[in-house]
Amino acid sequence: MGNVEFEKIKRPENIKLPYMLDFYPLEDEKNTQVSQFFTNLKKGRLTTTKCKECNKSLWPPRIVCPHCLSDKLEWIDLGTEGELYAFTETRLGAPLGFVEDAPFCIGMIRIGGLLISARVDGAKYDDLQIGEKVGLKIVELEDGRVFYRFRKIG
Amino acid sequence: MFDNVDNVSPKDVEALLVGAAQPERFAFQVHVAPMVAEHLGITPRKVIATTELMCASGQAAIRYAWTCVASGLADVAAAVGVEKMYMPNMAEAQTNMTCVLDREWDGVNAMSAPPFFAMTAQRHMHEFGTTKEQMALVSVKNHHYSTMNPLAQFQKEVTMERALQSPMVSPPLNLFDCSGITDGAAGVLLVPAEDAKKYTDTPMHIIGSGQANIGNAINNLASITEWVPLKMAYKEALRTAKISADEIDIAELHDCFTISELMEYEALDFCKKGHGGKFIENGEPYIGGKIAVNPRGGLLGCGHPLGATAILQTIDVLQQFRGEVPEGRHVKGAEKAITHNLSGAANVHSLMVYARR
Repeated sequence: MGNVEFEKIKRPENIKLPYMLDFYPLEDEKNTQVSQFFTNLKKGRLTTTKCKECNKSLWPPRIVCPHCLSDKLEWIDLGTEGELYAFTETRLGAPLGFVEDAPFCIGMIRIGGLLISARVDGAKYDDLQIGEKVGLKIVELEDGRVFYRFRKIG
Repeated sequence: MFDNVDNVSPKDVEALLVGAAQPERFAFQVHVAPMVAEHLGITPRKVIATTELMCASGQAAIRYAWTCVASGLADVAAAVGVEKMYMPNMAEAQTNMTCVLDREWDGVNAMSAPPFFAMTAQRHMHEFGTTKEQMALVSVKNHHYSTMNPLAQFQKEVTMERALQSPMVSPPLNLFDCSGITDGAAGVLLVPAEDAKKYTDTPMHIIGSGQANIGNAINNLASITEWVPLKMAYKEALRTAKISADEIDIAELHDCFTISELMEYEALDFCKKGHGGKFIENGEPYIGGKIAVNPRGGLLGCGHPLGATAILQTIDVLQQFRGEVPEGRHVKGAEKAITHNLSGAANVHSLMVYARR
């Protein structure tokens, strides 16, 4: 075995979370045509697009109406208070980037006639009830991107 | 796949469809169909592709292999399903399951499979009075049958008490309400019906199918507590098979979670809407009951290697028809069976109908 070389090599211990493992969307105009959603969110407004032709509110926000294929859409406010349709709590099996947060609550929230999934902060599973009111909360990432959550207000 | 099949070798396979849900995530490998071909010594000359439909990827492979044969494009087609899911870091595996729904609007909320089906279960309990015990009965039944399946990942009985006391994953779902993270692979050969006897005395026939999808993001599903696309797919499956519902002897249903199987009893009209829990309390989905559901052991008992699951269901139906399964889980005299897979937020449902003759 005299001609075989052995060498120990290293890989980087820490790598910045790459885009393909980052659940949060890219929000700027360069990356999405619904960047207005995030601009509005930064101002405390949860908004979506509504079709001017067929009058349907769309979620997620779209650039073309899937009901009538019109591209004449307008931004509308959904309000800041919703109703808890369903909820659970991630205790085991949290994905990368969320492991440190567990346990945490996730819900489906009725707001503005839509059904939106979101994290629900400020409560444990046993504190929540179907039908209770939850308020809008906005979280900001270190890089300035924002996202919506809801919080227990009752 | 070629064992016990006469007059066929890997070189005869003209079309190869490989069901794999997320090889790029779980094994850091894409273009898996040629890898499978290489492993099996297959050199396809007509069609080769990987098929992805998340948890129904294996059934997608069967459907496309079937269309290759039915259209006359290929005389011998292979549908293979593969998935390597076990990873040293469980959180990484869960991450892969969290980009199945709309990643930017649902996945971003850590909405992987357990939270989605937990909320489905919560609503079902809220609206119809379904209980934790009724859900656990599905786990008890399917683990009972998987004790008699040498291919199953879990081969021990699970008692009601053990199921209810298992760790809480995402309330109201405990560990035994959830199917496993599983490695697996399986394959079947498809040929024109008129050629079948050339290869085996005991073939199985595809006699119908149905598949339907409504929406993708949570907001755009038809309903959380009623799987409308499954009702549509079932109607189409029965229509194309030209059979009535009471002719089905075996139902291999997609029990990714216990609540799924209860809701499937309802969507398939085995019982009234909201009565899924009562249906299993009365022993109806056991062999000898109204209809044998998951005598293979289901996803709960056998594990759920995404791309391979549908192929494994199909092989088990074939073995049921041939009487090659152990006595305790044999549905004697079975003539017709359905296999079912759901995928995503239960927004896609896929059904195949098989007959012994």
